[in-house]
Amino acid sequence: MYPHERSLVEEMKDKPFALIGVNSDKDIARAKKAIADNNLNWRSFTAGPKGTQGPIPTAWAVRGWPTVVVLDADMKIHYRGHDGDKATEVAKELVARMTAGK
Amino acid sequence: MQRFVSWVSPLLVATALVAQQGPPDARPAVPATAAERFAALKADQKKMMDDWQKAMREAAAKPKDKEAPVPGKPIAAMPMRPDFAPLVKTAQKAADDFAGTDDAVPFLLFVVQNSTGEPDGLAAALDTLTGKHLDHAGLAQLGPMIGFLPRIVPADKAKVFTERLAKSANADVRGWATYAAHQETIEKADRAGETYRVARLELEKAIAEAEDARLKGEIRSAIDTREKFGVGNVAPDIEGEDLDGVAFKLSDYKGKVVFLDFWGDW
Repeated sequence: MYPHERSLVEEMKDKPFALIGVNSDKDIARAKKAIADNNLNWRSFTAGPKGTQGPIPTAWAVRGWPTVVVLDADMKIHYRGHDGDKATEVAKELVARMTAGK
Repeated sequence: MQRFVSWVSPLLVATALVAQQGPPDARPAVPATAAERFAALKADQKKMMDDWQKAMREAAAKPKDKEAPVPGKPIAAMPMRPDFAPLVKTAQKAADDFAGTDDAVPFLLFVVQNSTGEPDGLAAALDTLTGKHLDHAGLAQLGPMIGFLPRIVPADKAKVFTERLAKSANADVRGWATYAAHQETIEKADRAGETYRVARLELEKAIAEAEDARLKGEIRSAIDTREKFGVGNVAPDIEGEDLDGVAFKLSDYKGKVVFLDFWGDW
C-alpha cells in the first residue's frame, strides 16, 4: 500500500486533498522507522500505546487494517472500507467535482 | 498438574500392561474414560504441532542461496499446518463410542475444529452437535467460526446449523449465530426497512445477553460502522497528536477531501 499512498499524495499535492493517517502501531519508533524507510509523506495521528485497541480506532469502530474512510470538504463520509483503489477513486472524484465548480 | 497426570496416567497403565504381557507387537491399551481419551488426543496433537514447528524452523534456518528459485521449477511448498486427518479419525471414533452422551461433545468439537479435507465428516459432526447437544456449554468454543459456516459446509446446511444455534440455551452461542444471520443485513439492507429494524433489535438483544466481550465488540462495531460511519454520515472530529507529539485535529482539514487511512507497519 505504501507506494500507492505515496504517489497519491504526490499527485494531489496542489489540490484540495489531504491524506491523514491514524497510525495504529503500539510503538511510535516503529512507525517512524517505516516512515523513514519508505519515505512516507503524510501526517498521522498516533493511536497510542494500545495500538489497534487505542482510543481512535475504538471510537471509529475500526476492526480491520488497513481501513480507509474518505471524507468530503464538510467531513461527510463518502467511502469506508478496505479497498484502497476504490477509496482513491472516490476521493479523486470528489476533488474533481470541487475543482470543476470553481 | 492435574491435567498432566490425567493424560500421563493412561500411558503408564498401558506401558505396565505391555510389560506384563510382553508380546513384542502388543499395542498400548486404549484409555478407558472419555476424559482420558480426549487428553491423549490433545497430547498427540501437541506432539504433531511441536514436530511440525521444529521442521518449519529447520527449513527456515537453511541457507537460502542454495535454493534460489529456478524458472519453471516449482518451489517446494510447506504445509500451513500438520495434517490432523488421523487425529480427526480417532476423534470421530470416540464420538461414535460416546454417541448420545455429553462425552461425545469434545470429540465432535475436535472434528469440527481440525478437519481439513473432510467436509462430509465436518458437516455430520456439526449436525450432531447442533441437533443433539445444542445446549451444551462447550458449543461456545465454536464462537466466531459460526460466522464462517457458509464457507466450510454447503450453504443450505450452514443455514440449518445457524438457525439451530440461534436457539441454543447458551447466550454466547446464540449471539454468534444471531450475528452470523444478520451481519449482511446490518451491512447492506435499507436502514429504513423492516428487515433492518428486526435485525438490529435481535443484535441489541444478543449484546445485552452475551458474555463474550469479543462478540459484543464485533456486533457493536458492525452497527456503529453502518449507523455512525456509513456513507452519508458526518464523521466525528478526531483530536489527537501526530507522531512527533504535536496536537492537531481532523477538522483542521475541513475544506479538503480527506483520505483517512488507518495504517500500521506490520
